[in-house]
Amino acid sequence: MATTGANHMQAKLVLLGDMGAGKSSLALRFVKGQFFDYQESTIGAAFLTQTLAVNETTVKFEIWDTAGQERYHSLAPMYYRGAAAAIIVYDITNSDSFGRAKKWVQELQRQGNPNLVMALAGNKADLSSKRKIEAEEGQSYAEENGLFFMETSAKTSQNVNELFYEIARKLPKAQPAQASGMSLTDGSTSRLGPAKSTCCA
Amino acid sequence: MYSALNTEPPVEPPPTTAWGVERGEMQDRIDTKRNVRSSRPRKPTKVKMQDVYSFNLEVSREEASIIHQVKERVKEQGRVWWAMEAKNGAGWYLQPEIFAQAEGYFVSSLSLVTMTSTLQLKKLIRSGIPPLLRPRVWSAVSGANKRRSSAPESYYSDLLAAVEGRETPATRQIDHDLGRTFPTHPWIDSADGRAALRRILVAYSFRDSRVGYCQGMNFVAAMLLLVMKKEEDAFWMLAVLVENVLFDDCYSENLYGCHVEQRVFKDLLRKKLPRLAVRLEEIEFDVSLVTTEWFLCLFAKSLPSETTMRVWDVLFNEGASILFIVALAIFKMREEELFAAKHVGEVMKILHDATHGAYDPDELLKVAFEKVGVMSLQSIVKQRKKEQPAVIAELERRGQLNPSDSVQSSSR
Repeated sequence: MATTGANHMQAKLVLLGDMGAGKSSLALRFVKGQFFDYQESTIGAAFLTQTLAVNETTVKFEIWDTAGQERYHSLAPMYYRGAAAAIIVYDITNSDSFGRAKKWVQELQRQGNPNLVMALAGNKADLSSKRKIEAEEGQSYAEENGLFFMETSAKTSQNVNELFYEIARKLPKAQPAQASGMSLTDGSTSRLGPAKSTCCA
Repeated sequence: MYSALNTEPPVEPPPTTAWGVERGEMQDRIDTKRNVRSSRPRKPTKVKMQDVYSFNLEVSREEASIIHQVKERVKEQGRVWWAMEAKNGAGWYLQPEIFAQAEGYFVSSLSLVTMTSTLQLKKLIRSGIPPLLRPRVWSAVSGANKRRSSAPESYYSDLLAAVEGRETPATRQIDHDLGRTFPTHPWIDSADGRAALRRILVAYSFRDSRVGYCQGMNFVAAMLLLVMKKEEDAFWMLAVLVENVLFDDCYSENLYGCHVEQRVFKDLLRKKLPRLAVRLEEIEFDVSLVTTEWFLCLFAKSLPSETTMRVWDVLFNEGASILFIVALAIFKMREEELFAAKHVGEVMKILHDATHGAYDPDELLKVAFEKVGVMSLQSIVKQRKKEQPAVIAELERRGQLNPSDSVQSSSR
């Protein structure tokens, strides 16, 4: 059945960052609108999807939420290969996690996909009394490295939808239709199922 | 035993978004495009219940009925074991020479009587060990008893005393994961449960500092605690599991062993399910995306608890090849559906449903043993050796191999 105007786009997105920075919580807040104080540790990676509409286009994010422990690093290429977007997450109350985030940025830059949309998220913004990394520090690092930056809180949902929306908005401009990790299809061939979001944690 | 939910689970209000389209509207649009006119099917009623190991479940009526059947079968299987006990003598399965691990290696030296017992035990274990007997049988067949007997009796308490109050990167990571290990299980989530889990993981991280703590071990150790009941017994099961039963290096730095397993698994998939393997490659689905978690948690995070324990029954008696056989069986059970999938997301959904909904252990194990077929531990050890150079090369290329890692010396 022909549809008018709207395009559907699928975009692979990977969440990277230190253990406990809040990758799974951000994904869960975005996909299901939920938050748990104790989010089960991710092993390997969890897979979730969520669809957003930006102007005339709907973007279906296929989110790979990866495990944060250092030794899982060697598995990461499998998840970021062919990704259209990456969110690198750190915990504003933990300076080690900020250092780790920088390493992820460097690694992704080395992969040399110039079209990759990269976001830096300083998570746990609700814990400002325990803050170790000032927002300005995150902001200036992001600017120097061509990422966009937001402080987020999966707990209060501050900036969570905004973060994904901003990525969705940057995608079509950043990436031609043929690029890997993203595909454009028209409505007639779209296979969007009846469930708008799935969670395979 | 269980009650139907009268109320729907709370529905989150759609987020108000700056860009105007709320999720509900989005769904309606998609439905319209797909020309769905009829009213949406109502969500099937969910039933709340606890499984054999007290995990809280919310399942469909069909699944609830399967879980009840499984509970009945577990009781029936208990009667079979007691009958064997009456016939063969109490603790007949505790003699080291009849464990399946002994098969292959010493066949020529086994007496006919012993051989018969070995086969009987293997068959019985494949049909399931009753939960009450698991601690005894596992300790015996896995080699945990033997390992423990070579250490001083006070080993575990001495180890705990020695590490008391010490802080390492491993202990910090363990502390971080305690509350994130089966957070909805009533006992694991209790103060006692978390304390016991902490002790065995911390003790193990000092026992083997090369492994230290690897995420995934938290789920494995928690299941061991639920089965073994006694903390010290669970500790020894963890030790024998990591040191003897599993292949080398599966939890060590860089997850070197895990990389090898993934390659071996892909090779087996190509041999056992060639058509599907090709198809999945065509749609760029790397099976490691899903199997990594299966191998690192030994299915504890993906299969229902009794199904996981049935896999572990075989794991402790016959060795780690069962992990490959079960992983293949999961693909086999959904072969047609997977073959028809056109996208990575669909494949993930099918495999997620196939594992999380595998409430009937016999259904899965029947496919594993009858359709996938048995493969010997030796053949997998051989295949692992073949794959090792490629993994070492790959990790070296990425600069992720620590020169001090003595991976080449791995024997299994």
